[in-house]
Amino acid sequence: MSEKQVIISIGREYGSGGHAIAEQIAKNKNLPLYDYNMLQSIADEKEVNVSSFEKYDEIPKIPFVSRTVRGFSNSPEENLAQMQFEFLRKKAESGESFVVVGRCSEMVLKEFDCMIPIFVLGDMEAKIERIMRVREVSREKAMQLIKTHDRMRKSYHNYYCTGKWGDSRNYEMSINSSKIGLEETVKIIEAYIEKR
Amino acid sequence: MVTKMCAVIIFLVMFALIITDKFERHLVTLGCGAATLIVVFGFCMHSMDAVVETLNVHNIFTLGFWYEAGSASESTGGINWATIIFIVGMMVMVEGMAKAGFFRWLCMAIAKLVHYRTIPIFVTFMIMSSVLAMFIDSITVILFLAAVTVELARLLKFNPVPMVLAEVFCANLGGSATMCGDPPNIIIGTSLGYSFADFITNTGVIAGISLVIVVVFFYFCYRKQLIQSEGSADEKREYPSPASAITNKKDFAVSTVIFLVAVVMLVTHAQTGLTVAFIGLFIAIVTLLFSWKDAGKILKGVDYKTALFFVGLFVVVGGLEQTGILVTIASFIEKISGGNLKLMVAIIIWVSAVASAFIDNIPFAATMIPVIKSLAQTTGADLSVLAWALSMGTDIGGSATPIGASANVVGTSVAAREGYPIGWGTYCKANVPATILVLLISTIFIWLRYC
Repeated sequence: MSEKQVIISIGREYGSGGHAIAEQIAKNKNLPLYDYNMLQSIADEKEVNVSSFEKYDEIPKIPFVSRTVRGFSNSPEENLAQMQFEFLRKKAESGESFVVVGRCSEMVLKEFDCMIPIFVLGDMEAKIERIMRVREVSREKAMQLIKTHDRMRKSYHNYYCTGKWGDSRNYEMSINSSKIGLEETVKIIEAYIEKR
Repeated sequence: MVTKMCAVIIFLVMFALIITDKFERHLVTLGCGAATLIVVFGFCMHSMDAVVETLNVHNIFTLGFWYEAGSASESTGGINWATIIFIVGMMVMVEGMAKAGFFRWLCMAIAKLVHYRTIPIFVTFMIMSSVLAMFIDSITVILFLAAVTVELARLLKFNPVPMVLAEVFCANLGGSATMCGDPPNIIIGTSLGYSFADFITNTGVIAGISLVIVVVFFYFCYRKQLIQSEGSADEKREYPSPASAITNKKDFAVSTVIFLVAVVMLVTHAQTGLTVAFIGLFIAIVTLLFSWKDAGKILKGVDYKTALFFVGLFVVVGGLEQTGILVTIASFIEKISGGNLKLMVAIIIWVSAVASAFIDNIPFAATMIPVIKSLAQTTGADLSVLAWALSMGTDIGGSATPIGASANVVGTSVAAREGYPIGWGTYCKANVPATILVLLISTIFIWLRYC
């Protein structure tokens, strides 16, 4: 008998290590991880070069320069987002288990009972330190990156979803990775997945 | 003064909400239309007559609404029901045609006719886009044309983006040629009493000249990108057969005949006296009668939101009209042009074009009609000349940006969904110069012919 389907959706604040946590969980559970690599799969399916998608990934649609007519939008950001949502839905419908990072997945896959939505946040000081270390940037730059990325993610998420980005009511678990470190955070999330 | 301010505020709020794209535009215009009825006509003017005049329902029950013996014109005040009935009627016909596979068949047949060579496809699709858009709404034309273009691009290994952009431009250009091609023209025609023949012999000539120049322009713009794939067109490939596009032969034949009947009725409506409202309703009824089994599906496919958008829009513009604010705008244009017709034409074309490049050209055209009417009355200028200027400005100006016209939005969206996202830079690179080119042609043509 095949194993029960499980979809782990991980939303994250920039610098919280949410992506690294998702990678570790995917590795431990031997599951595919879907993040920006979705673009390559979509590009392969459409027989186009992935580079044309990259700059529009997880970017909010720009107000005042976008218009929607009969459900068609001129916004490349919105069209790509919809393609990614469709990709995730198809994967979920196929019965595949996977880990997905961001992309409004906790809302897009809400109808799937096997989907476990998790949000990883962090203390500002810990996030700054992590970004300075990982990106090799100054403190000011790290602060600026956190501010910009979180604003973009929030705007992207809140445009497509009814629930607000980071609002604990949209997730089964919201966890601060700064308090116990990434490794322990992974363990706690995995323990929750096992129990559920 | 308070009345004028309320009407202007409601109008500006409507435009702002349409631009933000936060709410569906029919909800915006209906909400603002209700606000106009309650606040402007009710609280400020205490005028039931203004409400009745703006709702304009009584007009539908007059003979002149369906049949015009002379050159009578549709009432300009309030909801332009003729435009709405015609647009919905044509939507029903187009739904029937699409269901039967007409558009896909036409695209594939033309591609086959030119032996699937990239450059000939590029040229013929541009012309086809213009010709179809003369009679059918540009959204439908581009929806099918862009989809087939991407399909052929994948097969023939060329980049479909230049072709989609050129098709979008030509659809807007084709729409400007006739009374029924583009919503601003339908509103202008029904509001001011111009016929299909009036449009085709005026804006149609400008569009025809422009099409020739634009085809050459786009060829030189994109030839390098398209010629690259031209060499590989001889490879053995499985080409889709045009016949495979036809879902049902009987439906296909019927929808083609109905389309041709619609074209004949539109072309001859000045002679027969049948109004566009009659033609729209007649065509819709005939389509539904012949496809009665699928009537439900066809009616479901009709975009009622657009009809509701028009209802709300006309009420808001009716509010502006009742308060006399549009006459003030007309006086302002008269003042700065000093009554010079050439200057008035230039102002109308270029201001309409710039506005239509960024905001929906339908509300803009609806607002400008009372303005040009007032302008013609006060300056003695020929109203038709101002109407052609308004038509070309609003129809062509919308081609400049990805959000200027519905066809642009649909074309770029279809391309993006197939893996070819089109940003503002790519879009504007060729379409802004092409727009300026056609606007220059229009201005010079109108100056030489009428001023």
